[in-house]
Amino acid sequence: MLRKANSFPEEVLEHVLSFITNDKDRNAVSLVCKSWYEIERWCRKRIFVGNCYAVRPEMVIRRFPELRSVELKGKPHFADFNLVPDGWGGCVCPWIAALATAYPWLEEIRLKRMVVSDESLKVIAKSFKNFKVLVLSSCEGFSTDGLAAVAANCRNLRGLDLRESEVDDLSVQWLSRFPDSFTSLASLNISCLGVEVSFSALERLVGRCPDLKILQLNHAVPLDKLANLLRSAPQLVELGTGAYSAELKPDVFSKLAGAFSGCKELRSLSGFWNVFPGYLPAVYPVCSGLKSLNLRYANIQGADLIKLVSQCPSLQRLWVLDYIEDIGLEALAACCKDLTELRVFPSDPYGVEPNVSLTERGLVSVSEGCPKLHSVLYFCRQMTNAALVTIAKNCPSMTCFRLCIIEPRAPDYQTLRPLDLGFGAIVENCKDLRRLSLSGLLTDRVFEYIGTYAKKLEMLSVAFAGDSDLGLHHVLSGCEKLCKLEIRDCPFGDKALLANAAKLETMRSLWMSSCCVSFGACKLLGQKMPRLNVEVIDERGPPESRPESCPVEKLYIYRTIAGPRFDMPGFVWTMDEDSVSRFS
Amino acid sequence: MRDCLKGSNPVAIHFQMMRSYTWIQTTDGAVQQVEQEVAMFCPLICQEVIQKGMGSSKNYAIFLPQRVGTSMFSLILDYCRFHQVPGRSNKERKSFDEKFVRMDTKRLCELTSAAESLQLKPLVDLTSRALARIIEGKTPEEIREIFHLPDDLTEEEKLEPLKNTTDDPRIRLLNRLYVKKRKELKEREKLKNVEAEEEHVDDRSVDDLVSFINGGDGDSKGMKTSKNRKKHQKRKDRQKCAPEMHKKESNVFSLLCHNAKHDHELQSSLRETLKLQDAADVIFSPTVEFEDVDIDSEIDPALKEEIDREVEDFARILNSDWPERMQELLSLGQERRPAQLSINGNGNLKRYGSIIIPRTLIHQSLHDHHAPRRLLK
Repeated sequence: MLRKANSFPEEVLEHVLSFITNDKDRNAVSLVCKSWYEIERWCRKRIFVGNCYAVRPEMVIRRFPELRSVELKGKPHFADFNLVPDGWGGCVCPWIAALATAYPWLEEIRLKRMVVSDESLKVIAKSFKNFKVLVLSSCEGFSTDGLAAVAANCRNLRGLDLRESEVDDLSVQWLSRFPDSFTSLASLNISCLGVEVSFSALERLVGRCPDLKILQLNHAVPLDKLANLLRSAPQLVELGTGAYSAELKPDVFSKLAGAFSGCKELRSLSGFWNVFPGYLPAVYPVCSGLKSLNLRYANIQGADLIKLVSQCPSLQRLWVLDYIEDIGLEALAACCKDLTELRVFPSDPYGVEPNVSLTERGLVSVSEGCPKLHSVLYFCRQMTNAALVTIAKNCPSMTCFRLCIIEPRAPDYQTLRPLDLGFGAIVENCKDLRRLSLSGLLTDRVFEYIGTYAKKLEMLSVAFAGDSDLGLHHVLSGCEKLCKLEIRDCPFGDKALLANAAKLETMRSLWMSSCCVSFGACKLLGQKMPRLNVEVIDERGPPESRPESCPVEKLYIYRTIAGPRFDMPGFVWTMDEDSVSRFS
Repeated sequence: MRDCLKGSNPVAIHFQMMRSYTWIQTTDGAVQQVEQEVAMFCPLICQEVIQKGMGSSKNYAIFLPQRVGTSMFSLILDYCRFHQVPGRSNKERKSFDEKFVRMDTKRLCELTSAAESLQLKPLVDLTSRALARIIEGKTPEEIREIFHLPDDLTEEEKLEPLKNTTDDPRIRLLNRLYVKKRKELKEREKLKNVEAEEEHVDDRSVDDLVSFINGGDGDSKGMKTSKNRKKHQKRKDRQKCAPEMHKKESNVFSLLCHNAKHDHELQSSLRETLKLQDAADVIFSPTVEFEDVDIDSEIDPALKEEIDREVEDFARILNSDWPERMQELLSLGQERRPAQLSINGNGNLKRYGSIIIPRTLIHQSLHDHHAPRRLLK
């Protein structure tokens, strides 16, 4: 049998694919040709569905018969800012039911911003014999009863991570449901739990799991007990402390410091709820090896904060409150040359007057001192175009830049001009920019810059910006890789949206709230674009009770091959051909 | 063999004659001798020697598989020659492998194929990883070009093929039922549409913009515009009558769903088939407005540029009377704008006006009793 030269050896395609695990690469492979599509789908082990309503579980199951790991996201990102009303959707129930019957060998489920019931957790616990990893990130709807079922039944569980989820604490004893024979735990994150857990159960669990590398406690775990835990788990790589304050006692302190010294593998610290500064030096033994430090809940001030940060020359990631101030950021810039990610959160976001001295200068110093900086989230109260231009010049490899000037429409405080030029410099210089959040006073001009230069931009967040539809048009027509666009309180209306309707099918989703998109335009869009779900979210009542030209409260458009969903609450309407005729 | 021994040291000759050789015939017909320990590194050759006693002499040379060409075999021998030596460190082996696999894609493919047919797993792994690295980060088009693969997936398939949904007779029956019900509903609506007054609603700007972009062809544009207007007006009329249509249609559907309730797959497959049918309608119906928008990427760049420019012009023209419209729209939305920050009794922030602060920060700042409220510097 003659074979074309340079032809791919298909008999090894499956083997080659076993080395390709990245989702984007797998998707590219599946689109090459028919035979590759077939081979790829039979050996895909892991799937990521960025919007649980974009596809139905049955479709996934039919296409990928051998999945071992499923990751789903539910609510849009703006749900984090309370912009998505309760009950909107994102219930994982139908997915879990379908997965339970289709994949008895499923090992991993990762969910973000989804509503998970105890019932679903019980189904997970009982259906998958080799279940290993459960991650519930920013989820809600379940209680410790559901967790108890998981603990009791998942004999091979390696990871249980509840980051940022809202959990109803019904029983303190759920941790005790892990049987004594259970020793496989490698990762446990219960930092979001409000109520205390049984410490003795926790201690026993930590003691009998030799592979435990990640342990993130909740604030209810007292500081004087931390040393015991650390001593029974010196192999920890990531630690989230509980409350970090207690009456200062020398023996407690030395025990704690000794325990930290024993943790030679520790690379990441977080927690630090309610810090008593006197105990901070206990962590100094691990600081030189620390790569990640998360102090976003830590009320440490000035000198203590600077001293701590200065002990960590290997730091790559720092999350901190604005108590660090400009002076602390200068120290950071001088000390942590490997810094790649910085997040500065506001300690008093609702205060009218600034409570700390954190300005644009802090971020500029970090951009000057840390050449590897590529991810920034910065809450502040003032900014200038000059500062942004400097930051852009200093960090050409920036991939994620999120600036949150707390007061909406705040101009450059020195020139009183809009911040268009500053953000323009960011998108022009940072050619690899994938994520951008805007704030401050901005005109259509900034969107023209974004559309022209931000060719790799995947996610854009906009609030209180722009003058007209041209702004939105620039973004939709210019940003080729745009995947998620979220907009609030901007004067964008029908025209740009309708003119760029086709673009919406190339994106995951578009959120617009408190803008000027009319009901009529929504109907038109929904009717004409069968592969989009156009959801109008309006708590004022049915949109057809108002004139067609009336703007809708909130609009969520996402591409889908699953058709309109049927689990919508009373304040959500899908615009599609059927509903249009319904409205008439 | 005798030729290459001419004039050599007799002691060396003696040692050489002590070594074993395996006779191999490559695909070009040539027969060669390979040091036994090197050749036996290939499981297939090993199998032939041990199980079938082949390779001991020229007449019993082992035939290599079709996919192992002469130059490929030579490469593979180099690999085997290096790795069969026991004393080498992991670092050495790794370094050799990295250099070894540096070759053009064509040779890499041939080598992978050859290694696979000789069952030489370590080399298959090495070359497969190298191929994986070539594939990573590329688009489907690029991959097709590199490996000369056909572009045989249809547009529909590229989205998500929904195969075999109509094979199940139950689904086909439900399909027919649903189509029938839909037709009945449409008939009923038409009957209710007794007064079809042509109302003159001024939504021309939206329609014009839309059809202008989709057109570019003078005749169809005119037709489309009037079709748009007609369709739009009809909707307006329907809006006046039969508000209970909504309930009726959903009842029918829920009835269908109820029948299929016990079979989730059935239910969803039904919807899928309907989607396919609807999609088919969209694709094949020549009068659907947004159809052209899908082939945007295939419009030649000059025309695209022209269209872009015209969109901008239009936007500018419309913008001239936009401020008034915007005022109107904003004032309509204004009364419902949520008030500035309000915290209810439980400390839960449900709505807030002007700041964009995440939920988790709210919890933190509310629970944080120890943080000083004001830090004066």
